[in-house]
Amino acid sequence: MRKQIQAIPVFCLLAAGLVAMPHTASAAPADRYLHVRVEDTSKSENVNVNLPLSMAETVLPAVNKGPLHDGRVTIPAGKSNGIDIHAIMEAVRTAPDGEFVTVKEKDQDVSVSKVNGNIVVRVRDSKKSGQTVDATIPMKVVNALVSGTKSNELDIAAAIRAMGDAGDTLIITVQDATQHVRVWVDSRNTQE
Amino acid sequence: MILAAKVALVCAGTVVAGTTMLCSEGFLRVKVTERGAQPHHIDVIAPAMLVPIAARFASHFAPRQKMEEASDKLQPWVPTIRTALSELNSLDDMTLVDVSEPGDHVRVEKLGSSIVVDVDDTDAVVHISAPIRAISSTIQQIADAADSDNSWRAN
Repeated sequence: MRKQIQAIPVFCLLAAGLVAMPHTASAAPADRYLHVRVEDTSKSENVNVNLPLSMAETVLPAVNKGPLHDGRVTIPAGKSNGIDIHAIMEAVRTAPDGEFVTVKEKDQDVSVSKVNGNIVVRVRDSKKSGQTVDATIPMKVVNALVSGTKSNELDIAAAIRAMGDAGDTLIITVQDATQHVRVWVDSRNTQE
Repeated sequence: MILAAKVALVCAGTVVAGTTMLCSEGFLRVKVTERGAQPHHIDVIAPAMLVPIAARFASHFAPRQKMEEASDKLQPWVPTIRTALSELNSLDDMTLVDVSEPGDHVRVEKLGSSIVVDVDDTDAVVHISAPIRAISSTIQQIADAADSDNSWRAN
């Protein structure tokens, strides 16, 4: 009888452990996935790519070739055309929401703006079968791209990490008469 | 009689242990079914552990220049490929790439601890399933092939 009584706290402890386990597991950050979908109705072609962000984040620092090293890309001296990317990014980061660039031509409209902590780029091109391009890049990602880097470097690995933390995001859509391209990030490993 | 039974037991144990070890890394499967009037069928299932060994063995007989070229191209990418495969191995099952167009369908999936490639086109249906660890070991073998080939020839 005494042994049975002694077993009760042990049983309770085990039960508590079992109840706590799923909470512990769900506390870990879920894997995030970068999805690319290309649909071409004129050729009945579909391309779907699903890439775990954790994989990109782990693999990138292992690539040391050309301008890419330790997850960072170095912009060659002659290629930056005298543009200080860090200064531009800092100016954008500290600026209030609003439209920064608007270009209106006969066949093309381009606008770059900051909306709710995102950089939003819109292109409307009536020449290319009414092609529209919408890109939304969270400021977190832009900040990660330039933070802690030299003036001629972009931290791609940090940007991917930030993209994973940014929540479900539709990054790019390109639409014309026959083609539709979507690039987005979410926590599902399928495109369903 | 008892001695014969002991010898049989040891032999059987060795065979079982050997088979278990050989199959421990899973199996490579290549299945090709051609379309047409006289379709050919190829279905090969081999223990994955043999694949890197076969790659190492084959490298001794492949043209040296070709092996050195392959090795030189692969060597800088081996750490990256190994990291990617290791990371992939730890993920849940998923479709990595799916391409479909009229008459063609290509799918690359991660299933269990294997990479599975399915190609269904107008000429043939191809199914390849390879354990990730075997792919990693095989790439390492090919990357090391030039060095080991030189030492092998020297001996």
